[in-house]
Amino acid sequence: MAGYNIPDTDYMVSGHVGCPGCGATIAMKFALKAMGEKTMVVIPACCWGVIAGPYPQSSLKVPILQTAFATAGATASGLRAALDMKGDSETTVMAWAGDGGTFDIGIQALSGAVERNEDFIYVCYDNEAYMNTGVQRSSATPFGSRTTTTPGKGWKKNRKKNMVEILAAHRIPYAATASIAYPEDMIRKFDKARRMKGGTRFIHVFATCPTGWRIPSEMSVKIARLAVQSNVFPLYEVENGVKYTINVEGSRPVADYFKIQGRFKHLTDEDFEKIQNMVDKDWELLLRKTSYFDRLT
Amino acid sequence: MKEVLEGSHAVSQAVRLAKVQVMSAYPITPQTHIVEALSEYCADGTMDARFICVESEHSAMAAVIGASSAGIRTFTATSSQGLALMHELLHWASAGRLPIVMAEVNRALAPGWNIWMDQTDSLAQRDTGWIQLYCEDGQEVLDTVLQAYRLAETVNLPVMVVLDAFFLSHTFEPVDIPGQDLVDRFLPPFSPKIALDTSDPFAIGQMAPPNVYMEMRRDVQKAMEQVLDIFSGVEQEFLNIFGRTYGPVERFYCDDARIIMVVTGTAAGTCRQVISDLRSKGEKVGMLKLKMFRPFPVNLIREDLGRVQKIAVVDRNFSFGASGIFAQEIRAALCNHPGHPPVFGYIAGLGGRDVTVDTLSEIYWKTKESDAPEDESVWVGLVNC
Amino acid sequence: MAQEPENGKKIPLFISRSHILTDVNKTGSWRFVRPIYREKTAPCSTACPAGQDIPRIEMFFNQNQFEDALNTILFENPFPSVCGRVCFHPCERVCNRAGLDEPVAVHDLERFIGDAAARGELKPGLKKLPAKGKTVCIIGAGPAGMAAGYFLSRMGYSCDIYEARSEPGGILRWGIPRYRLPETVLTFEIDRIKQYGLKISCNTPVTHDFVEDAKNRYQAVFIACGHGRSLKMNIPGEHMADDGLDYLNRLRKGDTAPSTTTAAVIGGGNTAIDVARSLVRQGTKTTLIYRRQKQDMPAFKEEVEMAVEEGVTIMELFSPVKIEKHDEEFVISLQKMKTAGMETDRGRSRVIPDGGPGHQFRTLKIFTAIGAEPADPWLSPLQKTDATLDLSHCTLADSDPPLLYGGDLTNAIQSVPDAVASGKQAAMAIDIFFKQGRHAITDRLNSCRVGNGPALSMARYMGEKQRNRHEDVVSFEHINLDYFPRESRAETKTLSLDDRVRSFDEIKTTLTIDRALKESRRCFNCGICNACDNCRIFCPEIAVTLHAGERQIDLDYCKGCGICVVECPRSAMELQEEG
Repeated sequence: MAGYNIPDTDYMVSGHVGCPGCGATIAMKFALKAMGEKTMVVIPACCWGVIAGPYPQSSLKVPILQTAFATAGATASGLRAALDMKGDSETTVMAWAGDGGTFDIGIQALSGAVERNEDFIYVCYDNEAYMNTGVQRSSATPFGSRTTTTPGKGWKKNRKKNMVEILAAHRIPYAATASIAYPEDMIRKFDKARRMKGGTRFIHVFATCPTGWRIPSEMSVKIARLAVQSNVFPLYEVENGVKYTINVEGSRPVADYFKIQGRFKHLTDEDFEKIQNMVDKDWELLLRKTSYFDRLT
Repeated sequence: MKEVLEGSHAVSQAVRLAKVQVMSAYPITPQTHIVEALSEYCADGTMDARFICVESEHSAMAAVIGASSAGIRTFTATSSQGLALMHELLHWASAGRLPIVMAEVNRALAPGWNIWMDQTDSLAQRDTGWIQLYCEDGQEVLDTVLQAYRLAETVNLPVMVVLDAFFLSHTFEPVDIPGQDLVDRFLPPFSPKIALDTSDPFAIGQMAPPNVYMEMRRDVQKAMEQVLDIFSGVEQEFLNIFGRTYGPVERFYCDDARIIMVVTGTAAGTCRQVISDLRSKGEKVGMLKLKMFRPFPVNLIREDLGRVQKIAVVDRNFSFGASGIFAQEIRAALCNHPGHPPVFGYIAGLGGRDVTVDTLSEIYWKTKESDAPEDESVWVGLVNC
Repeated sequence: MAQEPENGKKIPLFISRSHILTDVNKTGSWRFVRPIYREKTAPCSTACPAGQDIPRIEMFFNQNQFEDALNTILFENPFPSVCGRVCFHPCERVCNRAGLDEPVAVHDLERFIGDAAARGELKPGLKKLPAKGKTVCIIGAGPAGMAAGYFLSRMGYSCDIYEARSEPGGILRWGIPRYRLPETVLTFEIDRIKQYGLKISCNTPVTHDFVEDAKNRYQAVFIACGHGRSLKMNIPGEHMADDGLDYLNRLRKGDTAPSTTTAAVIGGGNTAIDVARSLVRQGTKTTLIYRRQKQDMPAFKEEVEMAVEEGVTIMELFSPVKIEKHDEEFVISLQKMKTAGMETDRGRSRVIPDGGPGHQFRTLKIFTAIGAEPADPWLSPLQKTDATLDLSHCTLADSDPPLLYGGDLTNAIQSVPDAVASGKQAAMAIDIFFKQGRHAITDRLNSCRVGNGPALSMARYMGEKQRNRHEDVVSFEHINLDYFPRESRAETKTLSLDDRVRSFDEIKTTLTIDRALKESRRCFNCGICNACDNCRIFCPEIAVTLHAGERQIDLDYCKGCGICVVECPRSAMELQEEG
């Protein structure tokens, strides 16, 4: 285990039906390594609704409650309340939703739960489109991407919604990004979130989708890493909405990340320049927040 | 102990007595008094429970589904738009076989905005797999909520206890609030058949492919088919402890009646007056109060209505493009019953319009004087505008 | 308790609720490519004449398995402390790490490990095979002869070594100055070889008759007595010059008084440089005269540069034509040379006289060091037949019992690791000869080559598991650089220039343990599994299992996504098409 401090026990099992190279399954594997057996997972409609196993199977060794698309935040709130009433403070409730269930249809229930500072971990594994239904755009789909509802020349011209900032604005104890390409960092964040009982912890996990992104399955982790290395998906943590910590500083050009993916293959150098500019500005903003709040605290 | 209570608070008192542990709701007139009282009970320690103030009815139902899945007694309440918003989750609760109890205050659906009595909201949820029980007064509301928990937790189906907006929810009546010891005898602590547990992990609600889905839905129906039997046992026990009973249907002067009027909710109280008046004039008329709508008590309907001359159904609801929903269901129940009487369907009191003694008298005389229904539904009390 | 239904009927409750795990689904059937663990060879290993498994040595080292690191070296080379000082480390020239920042300091790490063993901190643990009942006669106790004795002894042969000089070590003892190789280092490593039970008879010069007799007394003979005779320039007055090697011998014996005030050294090889630098240390103003360009000197570049730093003047492109003595002074007549195209086979410029006037160089002393040759004609096969085997590092004569020639007698490059390679090749050839016969030697040796180079792996020869030295060599493009941040290379401490020229103390120090560990972590461990666990960590199918330290792909579940192969930082895995 050179260099890694990664728990050996897995609570995900083989034989699930995730596509080859599925980033969302790697994400679950890492998350549960940190979470352990005293975890209940709430899953709304998403790829994991299928990967978790059809009747009579389960791909997890912890309890799963599947629920309606828009409801992860609310169902998790109810489950938490029930456990509290039963006197079970040890078990952690972990809502596990895709980007559709988090950024779009589920944002209301999530915001409601987060405003109440419900005591659970909410995880968005973000594969940047509605993959389970066949790659339709979501508000997590990045600028420049083709999907089946942003096809051809109609590739997405809008920016991706910045979910962590929305969550941080609720001033919850912990909001963080994580990547399947950085297992140690990701597991540390889940472990930290697990220990921070008493409020909502939100973790936004970047999870590649070889099928939807039109990338070779073996590049799944590599591309997730490139997203971090190019600051397209910065790894950072926000405590109480104000204390920003950047975990990795990227230095690669965004084109390194974009050019190897089929969903972006129509983009021109001019587009890359525009995207680079966006990413640079976002990064600059993140740095400013980090130093601004540092001065305040 | 008798107290003068509004119907909403009869619900709240019953929920308190049922020792519900997790509640979640979103405010909507005219349900608000129910949840306000429950919030107070939680705040002042009267109840040892969590009240989750969610941001929508959709989330309210999701939250109680979450809690119920962990094996906790739960409650929610809503009305009208809120119920419509919940619709998706009603299926999750019933097919998840969760014994959730919900108070539903019948209110009209917009547009235009209308906060008053109308049954279309709850009846539009008839195919969601929920047991539906309609109440006439505050006492029945309190008693039915307690019975609902026994029933739900026995058959593993959710129960909707329905009460009229304002006519019942906001009307003060004397209500006997039973002692906790008696309630505890009737309703022991919840012992769930389904409860998520980290020491025995399993998944619930996951994909059900074609090879099992039908059987799962068939089981919902099989459970539904036992509700009537089980409800009668629950009622018997309730009677033994509290001395009150209601029945899935209540018969009023039905034995020798030639015309039976079918009513629900608070209209039944008005109808009792009308029947008494008509009887005193020698009319052979009776009333059948329908309490249980789902499961629909087909055999009781056939038994009670199969041999009379005419049936007049009062619907405070409407299924557009068809007819009043109770009338529709009664026709369907009787259609395979040889020699069944004609069913006269009347639409009255939508959107909070009063159903008065005059309205019901008019319906009786119209029925008596017609050989056959002039239409599937006759709208009563319309104002030309 | 929940109420039992009052009517006594059971309530049907068939819901979507799991009661088994997904591991009943054998998702391996989805796969059309399969990942396999297939170790490859690091370029450093192929460049090492001794064929050392360098990435594995560094892996063991950085995992704190220091004795495993030592044993991995000793499997292929009995001289880590010696080679860690005097080897010209071709490994570093091909190190893949150079593509990222700088090569790994393999040479210094080898010295660190060798010295730790010399201090008694690490114990070698290589076993001897059971005695074979055969005795081999080895002539010459230099690095080739000692290496042959070492490998043969480990394989169960008895070895008698005959050495002309008073102590074993050959060129290591008599030809390399102390500042490059302290005697204690050499003695320790020779003593370690002796522990395998070989018998060394010193002060025993060998004649042709002795060899002929040995063929009767022994089951095999290996001649590796080196070049005993210095090459001549064949110019007038040559006899007045001193022999450079002889000077170094005397230095080692300690019987050389401080030298003269000026000296000229003729030659451009390592011996010439050693002589020049030793003279400097004795206070002599020294000039090195070389007939070619400085850049074409056979001596190690680093040594040449240090010589210049220490004050040796280099006269390049001067060829001596005559030596005369005028009073106490020698006058060397020199012909200025010029370059004229390239030599086709050796990668250096051809030189010819420039046609200009002659030069004269005055000095008080002259040393020649232009190379050496075998002292006698019988030190190579007297007659070659079809049965004579010319191998890369030795020659097997057409005789029975087998008679082999090796070391400097046959090596194209006369270096210590090449001498080790010769001893190893001879040992293997002798063993193959006895086991399978002369005809099998070439193929069997070929099967033990390291990567695509000529070096041989004793580990592979002896069938060591996990030491399969694949013919595929890892190139820089195969390395996943995401796992290797840039880091600067370890620099060893060296004596100041002043201290250097004033004594014969060793110039370089051994790395500290902290720095050595840090340096070993810079190694990519090209082509070998260092148990980094990436394959297991990233597998989305939990289809990489770990049993008793062995990682395996569970083909029941592996969908063939290939992430493990891409995330292997060091190319120890690959994808293979199914069916």
